[in-house]
Amino acid sequence: MSRGSGGGYDRHITIFSPEGRLFQVEYAFKAVKAAGVTSIGVRGKDSVCVVTQKKVPDKLLDHTSVTHLFPITKYLGLLATGMTADARTLVQQARNEAAEFRFRYGYEMPVDVLSKWIADKSQVYTQHAYMRPLGVVAMILGIDEEFGPRLYKCDPAGHFFGHKATSAGLKEQEAINFLEKKMKNDPAFTYEETVQTAISALQSVLQEDFKASEIEVGVVRKENPVFKVLSVEEIDEHLTAISERD
Amino acid sequence: MGDSQYSFSLTTFSPSGKLVQIEHALTAVGSGQTSLGIKAANGVVIATEKKLPSILVDETSVQKIQSLTPNIGVVYSGMGPDFRVLVRKSRKQAEQYHRLYKEPIPVTQLVRETATVMQEFTQSGGVRPFGVSLLVAGFDDKGPQLYQVDPSGSYFSWKASAMGKNVSNAKTFLEKRYTDDMELDDAVHTAILTLKEGFEGQISSKNIEIGIIGADKKFRVLTPGEIDDYLAEVE
Repeated sequence: MSRGSGGGYDRHITIFSPEGRLFQVEYAFKAVKAAGVTSIGVRGKDSVCVVTQKKVPDKLLDHTSVTHLFPITKYLGLLATGMTADARTLVQQARNEAAEFRFRYGYEMPVDVLSKWIADKSQVYTQHAYMRPLGVVAMILGIDEEFGPRLYKCDPAGHFFGHKATSAGLKEQEAINFLEKKMKNDPAFTYEETVQTAISALQSVLQEDFKASEIEVGVVRKENPVFKVLSVEEIDEHLTAISERD
Repeated sequence: MGDSQYSFSLTTFSPSGKLVQIEHALTAVGSGQTSLGIKAANGVVIATEKKLPSILVDETSVQKIQSLTPNIGVVYSGMGPDFRVLVRKSRKQAEQYHRLYKEPIPVTQLVRETATVMQEFTQSGGVRPFGVSLLVAGFDDKGPQLYQVDPSGSYFSWKASAMGKNVSNAKTFLEKRYTDDMELDDAVHTAILTLKEGFEGQISSKNIEIGIIGADKKFRVLTPGEIDDYLAEVE
């Protein structure tokens, strides 16, 4: 069994390439982009909002079953960008872990603790040959008791950071450039501003105006820290507000 | 460890007798952000660059320097996720030692156990080596100590060391500046100057992290305010 100097296997399983890179992890990032969807998350002064495209490829599909926004607990939401099947596994495990945490320790799992858990799990897949990395970038949002609104992003490499705003998916870089300009002076967005910044970022980057049924929006607000998926009517209100503003 | 399908080692000898996966892991370390450590007469300082991928990242959510016990801290160069795994394992080992002997673990022993874990991942089936080098700073009965641990699992005690992108310039700078009777405060200044040497852009309390341990045997990470004070003194 000659596995000596990589022998070409550095592209098949997560071992180091001669330049010290993990090709499988890099390919997992490409798989996230290949899903063809872009997602955006924005953190305001007392709320967090995430937005993603809702692409229903077939008119015969039941569009209510197509979703990338998952409640993990009543208070934590997860937006998965990338391979849907991998996303469902991740969500299932996260829900299990969050429920066990609540049972074991008697208080709700905080956003950063869940994000770290997801990231640590992703790291295991980058180090052990028997499991490939998941092709999913997860954005986790919630209101932390101490620190207020929190938005975390976890990627296939096992990195996780807290973000003031971020993006994932096909047009990730363009969206981040747009958001960097908007968030440059550390603005403290209200709830409406947060949602509208997220939606208009997506519109600008994809260069199209949406119908309310073509995007999914999830929010958490300090005044009511429950994770909520906005209804089509509520999304419409925000879209109208954006077009009136322009 | 891992599925039985992968119960052979992925890190095997090449015909020239090298373990190529470990060399690649060291390359991964060498492309990581610069970090360094300096042992003073009365303490140890470790420091690292903290360059985040975007201004949108909340820098307060990231802490690269971690404590393993109240009197031992660690910093890394290389892959962040791999570092988190080692921190978790080391903390557990330190706690198990304390449970058994009712004593804080000596620095050398914790370093040895961490290095053993890293070595296991170069020999066990179905896993790759860790893509990090660690600088462990501690203060126990034997005084201030600084150890560097590599992906191969080998470790050495250093008076001063550096790792990552700017390793050769940093080490040359440290060789010139190091003195055996340095005080902890001087060591912090030297650490900042060394980081400044290869720093791209403007150095500030937002893009470096510094951890110190003094004769009080309490490891702590400096606040951005304290880093600002040191930066002002260095100017």
